[in-house]
Amino acid sequence: MNDRKILVVDDEIELLEMVKAIFTRAGFTRVLTAASGRAALRICREQEPDMMILDVMMPGMDGFATLKELRKTSKIPVLMLTARGEAEDKFAGFENGADDYLLKPFLPKELLFRVQAILRRAYPEKERRVFFDAAAVDLDKAAVQRDRETISLTAKELQLFEKLYENQGRIVTTGALCQAICGDFWQGYESTLATHIRHLREKIEENPSKPTALVTIKGIGYRLIIKGVQT
Amino acid sequence: MNKSERFFRRYIFSTVRIILLFLFLNILLALSFVAISYLGNVKSSKFPIEDFSGHITENGGRFNADEQAEEMLNSAGAWAMILDENGRTVWEMNMPEELPHRYSTTDVAMFSRWYLDGYPVNIWSRQDSLLVVGFPRGEITNYYISVRAWYVRPIAFGFFAAVCMNVLLVLYLFIRNARQVKKAMEPILNGIRCLSAGKPVHLEETGELAEINAGLNKAGDYLLKKDNTRAEWIRGISHDIRTPLSMILGYASEIEETSSLPEDVRRQAGIIRRQSEKLKNLVADLNLTTKLEYSMQPVQKQTLDAVELARQAVSEVLNDGLPDKYELELSEADPGKAVSITGDQALLSRMLCNLIRNCAVHNPGGCRIQVSVGSRDTACTFSVADNGYGISEPRLTALNSDKDIGSTQKQAGETEHGLGLKIARQIVKVHQGKIRFSNTVPHGLTVEIIVPVETY
Repeated sequence: MNDRKILVVDDEIELLEMVKAIFTRAGFTRVLTAASGRAALRICREQEPDMMILDVMMPGMDGFATLKELRKTSKIPVLMLTARGEAEDKFAGFENGADDYLLKPFLPKELLFRVQAILRRAYPEKERRVFFDAAAVDLDKAAVQRDRETISLTAKELQLFEKLYENQGRIVTTGALCQAICGDFWQGYESTLATHIRHLREKIEENPSKPTALVTIKGIGYRLIIKGVQT
Repeated sequence: MNKSERFFRRYIFSTVRIILLFLFLNILLALSFVAISYLGNVKSSKFPIEDFSGHITENGGRFNADEQAEEMLNSAGAWAMILDENGRTVWEMNMPEELPHRYSTTDVAMFSRWYLDGYPVNIWSRQDSLLVVGFPRGEITNYYISVRAWYVRPIAFGFFAAVCMNVLLVLYLFIRNARQVKKAMEPILNGIRCLSAGKPVHLEETGELAEINAGLNKAGDYLLKKDNTRAEWIRGISHDIRTPLSMILGYASEIEETSSLPEDVRRQAGIIRRQSEKLKNLVADLNLTTKLEYSMQPVQKQTLDAVELARQAVSEVLNDGLPDKYELELSEADPGKAVSITGDQALLSRMLCNLIRNCAVHNPGGCRIQVSVGSRDTACTFSVADNGYGISEPRLTALNSDKDIGSTQKQAGETEHGLGLKIARQIVKVHQGKIRFSNTVPHGLTVEIIVPVETY
């Protein structure tokens, strides 16, 4: 993921430098910057970045106009980064084709987390393998490698695992997990979820009754703790 | 009965009192006049003709007035004469020269009732003669009333009825006027009430009180404009502060995480980062509270799972990183029971997060935070309780009253629960719910929020 090309657009040069530093520290090697909408569109044409972080309020061509223009030729994911927190501004951003919206002031780790989540969704990595103490999960093959044995994941287990993996290290609520496997009308599926979790644990945990990878956060949800990822 | 009705009722009562007072005073005046005239004051203004007659003596057809009679006549500026049975003047004193000395029966009949050649006169019947006392012209007015005897009673009754009718008419007109004034005043009073409650006012600018209505509308517009200006100002400031704050946060984090820098520098950068995060939250709170106060925040209500809402709030706080000294737990009053509420997810979640973070902020030494969700009849209860310091009894009373939680300034020696609680209360209000603050046993603060299941 870290070789993805990210274009950061903001008229504040110091903010550009800062965002670039945040991504560089996180391991991203190709961070481009542009100080205006026009410059951003030019860089998009010439260098074809994988994702854009776009400020709304800029002199000349503002963020919404830039996004509108961009959408005529490109489908790359765009995160709007702005000081304007009004609901209408948010709607305007999404209407013009933004993928996410982050309000200034933001925490660097929040920006990083959102960009990583967007990239994971937009560019699913081929042959992703997620490692745990006792097993490794191959997301593309929907299979668990364990003691040289391959155990397949059911469709629901895979959906569940992907949701947890997207939010690795963070708590995902029971409702959000139910929604991931059952859709919007998930109420009453909590016991089904518990069954899927149990099955998933049996496949990835060393000792399913004392889980270390798929941890229960009592009353709230679950958290996936991984050892590493290989792409 | 509202205050304006009470005011008008009091106004009518005072009118009745005034009328009664007037009647009483008039009766009192009439009575005192009668009493005074009876005591002789009025009598003295009238010529004592009988007494005067006594001072004139007849002696064989000749009349003689004594000195006292003459003095009486002079002091009144009057003249006198005595007519015999044939109308001839048999005695006179100070009599004007132009007056004749003989009078026919008709003359006597006329002047006894009216005037004698313009002189007002009094007459007194003596034995076989008539005493006439004349006064200067224009000094006395004679007026005679003559009615049929059977007519006296109806007249008296009529007079009484007229007085009563007048009083009633006056009363009726007063009440009608008061009602009209009330009708005209009521929208104005309502307008003032709205203004004092900070609600927008618009009154019809017609009728006699159009000017006052226009004035109120203007005042309402002015207040609204002022409110909007303030809200815009806060929005502007919080907008302008966002980009610089982003940079402070970002660079402080960078410095904090650069392992090649000295430990001290990184620790100090960490302090800057944490304080900036506080500022960030404060700006967001300030913006939201302003929007809620001026109803600028669109409320997007939808059906929500109350337990999941609490789970999301708790997980958000945990995911943002809650130090280990805090123990955060979520419990359900009826595990497995779905509690559906109608509300704005973002606002309610924000409220719960605020309440949970409040517990941490005000107990820097660490504490246990217990979030619970339950439902009773048609209401859903969220509660956030900590076992920390809690707050003083007076502050608790203030929080439970409807008083504004205005400032974020610390009062001497008191733990402050500022904007976070204010926002929580505003969000609860938007959802027509209730918020209650109490002390956790043995110590700590419990905040209970009761939201109706259906808030449409």
